Amino acid sequence: MVSGTLDRNSTGEALPGRITQMGGGSHKRATSRKWAWNDTTAAWILITPLLIFFVISVIYPLFETFRLSFFDIRGVRAPKYVGFGNYFKLFGDPNFQSALKATFLWTFVSTAFSVAIGWGLALICSLAPRATLSFRVMIFAAYGVAEAVSGFMWIGIYRPDVGLLNSLLTTVGLEDWAHPWLGDVKTAIWALIAAYVWTQVGLPLMTCFASIQSVPRNLHEAAYIDGASPMKILRYIVMPLSLPGVRVAIFINLLASLKAFDLIFVLTGGGPIRSTETIGYFMYRESMQNFKLGYGAASTVILLLAVLVVSIPVIMKRTGEAR
Amino acid sequence: MNTRSPRWIPYLVGSVALIWIIPILGIVVLSIRPLSETTLGWWQVDELSFTLNAWKVVWDKYPLAQAFWVSVKITTLATLIPVLLAPAGAYAFHFLKFRFRRVLLIIIINAFVLPNQLVVIPLFRLWRELGLIDNIWAVIIPSAGLSFAWAVFLVKNYLEDFPKELIEAATVDGCGPIGRFFHIVLPNSLTPIAAVAILQFLWTWNGLLLPIVFLRSEIPLTALLARIQGVYDLNWDQVSVVAIVTTIVPLIIFIVFQRYFTSAASNRSGSKE
Amino acid sequence: MQLFDFGFERPASLKGLIVGTVAAIGVAAGSTAALSQDASGEIVMINWLGGAQGEMMTKLQDDFVAKNPKASFRNIVPQAAGDARGGIRQIILGGEQADLLINTWPAFRKELADSGLIIPVDNVWEEQNLGDKLPDAWKNLSVLNGDNYGVTYTFGNRSGIWYQTSTLQNANIEAPTTWEEFVGGFAALQAKDITPMAIPAKVWAHAEWFESILIRTAGVETATKLANHEIPWTDPAVKTALGKWAELIEANCCRDPNTMLATAWDNAVDASLKTGDAAYVLMGMWLNTRAKVEYGKTPGTDYTIFQFPAMGMGHDNTSMVDAKEFNMLATAKNLEGSAAFMAYMLSADAAAIMADYGLASPSSDADTSLYDPVVRKSVEEVAKAEKVQFVLGDLLPGDLGGEYRVQLQKFLTDPSSNNIDQVTAAIEAVAAGAY
Repeated sequence: MVSGTLDRNSTGEALPGRITQMGGGSHKRATSRKWAWNDTTAAWILITPLLIFFVISVIYPLFETFRLSFFDIRGVRAPKYVGFGNYFKLFGDPNFQSALKATFLWTFVSTAFSVAIGWGLALICSLAPRATLSFRVMIFAAYGVAEAVSGFMWIGIYRPDVGLLNSLLTTVGLEDWAHPWLGDVKTAIWALIAAYVWTQVGLPLMTCFASIQSVPRNLHEAAYIDGASPMKILRYIVMPLSLPGVRVAIFINLLASLKAFDLIFVLTGGGPIRSTETIGYFMYRESMQNFKLGYGAASTVILLLAVLVVSIPVIMKRTGEAR
Repeated sequence: MNTRSPRWIPYLVGSVALIWIIPILGIVVLSIRPLSETTLGWWQVDELSFTLNAWKVVWDKYPLAQAFWVSVKITTLATLIPVLLAPAGAYAFHFLKFRFRRVLLIIIINAFVLPNQLVVIPLFRLWRELGLIDNIWAVIIPSAGLSFAWAVFLVKNYLEDFPKELIEAATVDGCGPIGRFFHIVLPNSLTPIAAVAILQFLWTWNGLLLPIVFLRSEIPLTALLARIQGVYDLNWDQVSVVAIVTTIVPLIIFIVFQRYFTSAASNRSGSKE
Repeated sequence: MQLFDFGFERPASLKGLIVGTVAAIGVAAGSTAALSQDASGEIVMINWLGGAQGEMMTKLQDDFVAKNPKASFRNIVPQAAGDARGGIRQIILGGEQADLLINTWPAFRKELADSGLIIPVDNVWEEQNLGDKLPDAWKNLSVLNGDNYGVTYTFGNRSGIWYQTSTLQNANIEAPTTWEEFVGGFAALQAKDITPMAIPAKVWAHAEWFESILIRTAGVETATKLANHEIPWTDPAVKTALGKWAELIEANCCRDPNTMLATAWDNAVDASLKTGDAAYVLMGMWLNTRAKVEYGKTPGTDYTIFQFPAMGMGHDNTSMVDAKEFNMLATAKNLEGSAAFMAYMLSADAAAIMADYGLASPSSDADTSLYDPVVRKSVEEVAKAEKVQFVLGDLLPGDLGGEYRVQLQKFLTDPSSNNIDQVTAAIEAVAAGAY
């Protein structure tokens, strides 16, 4: 049916030929009817309902967070205004600095591995969508289990004395490799990342797979009929198709890992000796454990600013392409 | 259909899935073996017996059915809202030009890093003023509001590959910006919408912090079951039961909705005849 | 979801005095009809107890309602991931109205009292004649600036060292009573491939060893001064205590430091009371439930406790304890009902329900014959001690408690005197800004 379409659209866009012709040939008829608002009005009509929810549940708390960051709050005692005091203190806080370092490692390594594994699996699965359905559900299930619970399962795996990992290593004759994974400052963050990647892979798998499947199957079939090898199909058809899913997965995994907390809390509690304390954990510890809400808020504001700096150019570029 | 797809694929993906399922298998095993046998790990088989005791205890002790219903209500509403509104927003941000477009988009997307713990205290005061404490909307509104950060981004991202010709053609046919959304973009965006639905359902369903702070009499599963685990007794058999009960529903949703990944495809190809 | 490790740190300094505490225990002649008036109306309780203790609190409330049919309870459950105080503060700051709060952190009591969020219960004490049931020692424990803010309903021994009887038989040693016997027995244990001590240093439980050593080398007065920062952490008393602890580590008491740092309290208890890989574990009374229910062991025969060994430094009459109390919130509406419930919690009936769950009541009406042998032994040991000290870690304000535990982790990785200097200096640096 569509081998012609395939040639023209190997970049991934499946263009309906007939409509393209219409669009190309008849721009003179482009007049708006009376009920058709202009873009600005239409845009506001479309986004206002969303904004109402957003302002209540995000902007208002965000404003409060910003305000709190100028106060010294200790537990339930009355807040004291300290100007930028919390911010100065943050930059002098060695725990904050080490949290920044840990976050950098944690965020990028875990996102890279989660997305790479999930993406790879999605590419392979797309060649045999039906045969792999149940396996995709199994992998996605790991994403569905609450992090606190999967954290407990990983404790069983990492336990120094009777843990599954050390037992397995001993069984296969690698007892020298057995190690108190979560107790060693050098290995704890990596063990944690491995567990976190395990929980996160389901997301890129789903978004990439969805992205690939959103394009007419006919494309694949046409390619098969033309006798392309699976590797070629992957490289030239499936891979480009999966990119929107990859972008979404990177975005969500990256930002989620910045504020990740539950798994760290269960597996290491930020230790040993604060070696696995990320910004997400730092915010929790200061805000909820020490209840220094102002200090915690200041660290959140810093995190928001950092994310803003990184994300603005990306968003500007992408919105620039609009239309 | 995919007779030509290589045979090794199911084997490879299957073995990866098996590794992935090990910890989940652990949860299932924990829930059906007595605690005394699994203290040192669910894989220990020195003694091996089967019991549904944990399931019975959880069922007898906690009003599961009622909590299940509350969970369903909250999650359904909190999922419907972004499913309806996020595509509209994404469409506006992607295809329409208006003032503050970029600023708004940046603010919305960055909100994703805002931790829930900080949202809770200001909102608690607000809900109290409005008398919304113990009302499920106290949970639904922020669950939906917080979802837009990623949901708008997700849908917009898919729209970047949306055939512009379709839009232009509709414009030519005299379709206004809102008409174009409903007639052209929405029917062709079922894939990202399904993805939003799956993720939002999963996150809201598993959400613990908002319901536990805002709800009192009507509480969802997660809040009810958070109490099973004591500080002094860890009750992992019962916690496992709870984990299974709560995870199974989002999984079903996933299985149901992931069909749209492919049906959306046929839908779009359908539009081209 | 409540998770391991955090959450059970309960302390409060209380000086001397506790002699009478449990001396009164042992006579079980309580009269239950003591409640002065019928309680009625709804009592709102901020209740963060989960699991078996949550169940126990429900039973206590039900029993109270059965006796006072006009009363009812509403529980506000704070988010209890980790430290329950975060969730409790959220509820209180959010302006929630409530009558009673279950509290186990003295530093938190002070924080709430300083902000006027809890109110004194002196008049409750008098109206309900609580003095008849609760020795003054317990009352003084909850006193701040002359006002009494709490009614203690349960307490536990935190200087008890747990062991399996079979482990010591296997190594052919007796439960030690002195420090020398304690350390001297290590060789016999090691010969049988048993690690003498399991120290769970993953988050907080390692501090127990420091605290018991501290009060037995320098006395509870020193611990109290330390908690109030009247002496610095660089004080020789602290260094001496750490030096004593270092003796244990040098005697190969434990496995390598990384293993200690990877071990959570429940893993350590497994090693001692289930697998027998380790001999001793120092921990509070809550693990009695784990040993009974999860390991299926019999208290008193399969496992038991001995009190922290005597160190011969003049402070062997001391013990670490923890406790839980009720505070009355400033927003309380049902004052009478709450007062009646606090009084009920000290009745023989309430003590009997708590005994079922392995918890000891400080009330003189409690019937100690209901306790299992391990709980009874632990109660007797606290009664014997002339001075008790509340768990130090939770007396420390703000982030000092966290820093203290992290620095003790550092100490475990290198117990040299050089590192002791660094560790104590690091705690002191944080302490300087915390008060």
